[in-house]
Amino acid sequence: MLRPLAHSQHTPLTATSGDADTLEARLGALESQTGEATRLIAELQARDRLKTQFLANISHDLRTPLTAIITHAEILGDGMLGELTERQHASVSGIIKGGRQLLAMVGDILTYARGAADQLALVPSTFALAPVVDQMLALNAPVAERRHVTATAELTPDLPPVIADREKLSHVLNNLFGNALHFTGLAGGGRVWVRAAVEGVDDERELHVEVGDTGIGIAPEHHDLVFREFAQVDSSTSRRHHGTGLGLAIARNLVELHGGRIWVESALGQGARFHFTIPQPLPPVTATHAAIMRPDPDAP
Amino acid sequence: MTARRPAVLIVDDSPLVTDALGVLLEASGYTTGSATTVADAVTALRNERYDAMLLDLTLPDGDGLEVLGSAEEANLTPPPTLALTGHDDPATAARCREAGCVAVLVKPVRRIALLGALQAAGVAP
Repeated sequence: MLRPLAHSQHTPLTATSGDADTLEARLGALESQTGEATRLIAELQARDRLKTQFLANISHDLRTPLTAIITHAEILGDGMLGELTERQHASVSGIIKGGRQLLAMVGDILTYARGAADQLALVPSTFALAPVVDQMLALNAPVAERRHVTATAELTPDLPPVIADREKLSHVLNNLFGNALHFTGLAGGGRVWVRAAVEGVDDERELHVEVGDTGIGIAPEHHDLVFREFAQVDSSTSRRHHGTGLGLAIARNLVELHGGRIWVESALGQGARFHFTIPQPLPPVTATHAAIMRPDPDAP
Repeated sequence: MTARRPAVLIVDDSPLVTDALGVLLEASGYTTGSATTVADAVTALRNERYDAMLLDLTLPDGDGLEVLGSAEEANLTPPPTLALTGHDDPATAARCREAGCVAVLVKPVRRIALLGALQAAGVAP
């Protein structure tokens, strides 16, 4: 049970009377309060670790039945057990779509929890960025069309192969791009773009990616807030986005795992430009970070 | 005369998973058996001839990879084995390969990935 700090902490710590006993008593009280505060901090940190582990466990356990539901629905939807009528197919498609959406959200929570518990490992490789971006554009093309959004990619022609964890870089790109599409769609349509270049020289080289849009924008006072977990900027307006509120917190986590930075430039009604950088090559600290990662022994 | 359908042993502690993968594989031309523990899996390998095994890493009575070692100790030759894991970290993948798995599939496994991996392992209907 957490106990509040003793209210005597507000007693002024001054001794004008020269009364050594009083001063000693107050110092003693201060030491006691400091000890209590230290104990309280340790207890809160322990509870935070428990919460994170609980999140990882529960989200992991949710995936098993959810995956089974989706697999069964896909078997039916693909006609592997017999042809479906059009209405049956539409219904099964709804189960698959909803299931995949839920699975993605559970996956986000699991990624966040593992990141918070330092259980995410980088798997760096050298690869061309263009196919990753092209695949993302192709996957999102139907959504972009439906939302009247024009999506483009501008990669510098001499962009060299990049060094990063391909899957995690792709996760960050897809998250930023998905947000850009969503909030541009809410603005009634417009443009979203991805720009990428390797900037700097020698040890200062870094991959710089910009995902921009002409959507509804974010007020400057909320720029830091959007990268915090469970944050939804201005929940009273159309900026509200149905989701876990973890997408950008995870993106920040994954970029920082690479030793990079992520930030946003935006104003309300003026679109948004999300930027992130990844050092080229990756700093040694990320290799060390990866080396100390350990798999969750309780997970299959 | 019809050709024998390849048999796959599905080892996972969740019947939800063994059921779903069983339906999927049987609809794709395989026959299947299932086991939910290391001990059951070794017994199944002793009693039936399987052409491939899908092996979850976390089982109630031990590490899934123990199935491979226990089978060899019992003078059984385990079939080509595809590990099923919830982790995509390199350490887990390396551990599976060292134990003799021919492929490592990260859950949730998509149908195309599963059938492709079985085919790559030379086990196709």
